[in-house]
Amino acid sequence: MARRLIYPLYQIGNPQLRIFRPPFSLTLVRPGKEQPQDTVQFRIPMEMTKCDVRNYLEKLYNVPVGAVRTRIQYCTNKKRNHLNQKVKRPDYKVAYVQLVQQQTFEFPDIFTEKDVKSAEGSVEEMQEKFMEDEKQRQKPDLRRGGLTEWFGL
Amino acid sequence: MAATSAGRVLTLCRQFQISFRISTSLAAQPSALTLTKSQSYPYRLTFPLLSSNWHCHVGLVGQCRPLHTTISRRGLEEFFDIPENWGETTVKSGAPWTAKQLRTKSNEDLHKLWYVLLKEKNMLLTIEQESKRQRIQMPSPERLKKIERSMKRLDTVVKEREDALRLLQTGQERARPGAWRKDVFGRVYWYRFREHALPWYMNKRYKRKRFYTPLFVTPHIRLRLEKHLRAKTRLQNKEREKQTALQEKFPQMKAQSS
Repeated sequence: MARRLIYPLYQIGNPQLRIFRPPFSLTLVRPGKEQPQDTVQFRIPMEMTKCDVRNYLEKLYNVPVGAVRTRIQYCTNKKRNHLNQKVKRPDYKVAYVQLVQQQTFEFPDIFTEKDVKSAEGSVEEMQEKFMEDEKQRQKPDLRRGGLTEWFGL
Repeated sequence: MAATSAGRVLTLCRQFQISFRISTSLAAQPSALTLTKSQSYPYRLTFPLLSSNWHCHVGLVGQCRPLHTTISRRGLEEFFDIPENWGETTVKSGAPWTAKQLRTKSNEDLHKLWYVLLKEKNMLLTIEQESKRQRIQMPSPERLKKIERSMKRLDTVVKEREDALRLLQTGQERARPGAWRKDVFGRVYWYRFREHALPWYMNKRYKRKRFYTPLFVTPHIRLRLEKHLRAKTRLQNKEREKQTALQEKFPQMKAQSS
């Protein structure tokens, strides 16, 4: 697990230096600005290059890659900690990967709420019922017309 | 009392004798055992660890278990959890791989497992980033730590094997050789060797480096040592004074073990 291969030295004609256990991890992110439909946005580690991203996606994920563009996102240095010292948020590299063959990608909505009906007579169902009852009980009396408790007898 | 203890000792002795006899009888036929072992070893089956069996070895096809799984063609979908888990607050997950479990695996299996873990990590990082963006709590964030731990352990196991092999073959203790060297200020540090395209006597940049301590620096080494010791004692004194002051103020306080 080496980030940079220094040893042994690469000389032209030698077999290619290979990393057997790549430590690099990509993060697929929802693009902040609107992108073309065939473009996927990744956050990649600083050491990775365009060729690396292409190889990574093609070899590990079987995703045919058309073009890769990268940029480095500068992150803020203005945040202060509790000792009023400046704290730098780490920069990161952003890669825009274009797919081939008119493939489109849209970031799915992962956190959609599920309508789960718990089984009849189970513990969860009783708990839910109890919570509902409690909420009903906690509600202020409508007949008081929103008057606070302080005025009550 | 004494009789019972003597009886216990006797039975122990007998057990020991029996075990000894068995072990000697086993030792009498080691040649046959080793022979069968060495014969059976190359035909050992390689079991795919997990369902993603995308490493298909052409040479081992005849020896593989007759199980065929198609290559996973999920592509970019692999950056997300399976759709059944979307919207769940908790996702069940197993324990991280321990080093003991990993040591029983073959190199090939470990190599495959690394990529499985890497994909899982990518997936979790994607989920984490999305949850940060939407300001929702990530479902089961402990999975990330588990993955990190298992990856670290896998790395150590593979490094152990590499070390053992290197020690056997070359006798070198480290993958990257080095030596203790002194710099100009008399500090000793571990210098890791690097391959150079030029030999050292032609390499101007390498010759510019000074791996020696001039004679006029020696008094300063002593001064630096003194400075370091003074700082250390000053810190210790400060701590002790603080403790005594606290003791005076709060006599019931327990003495801190430091």
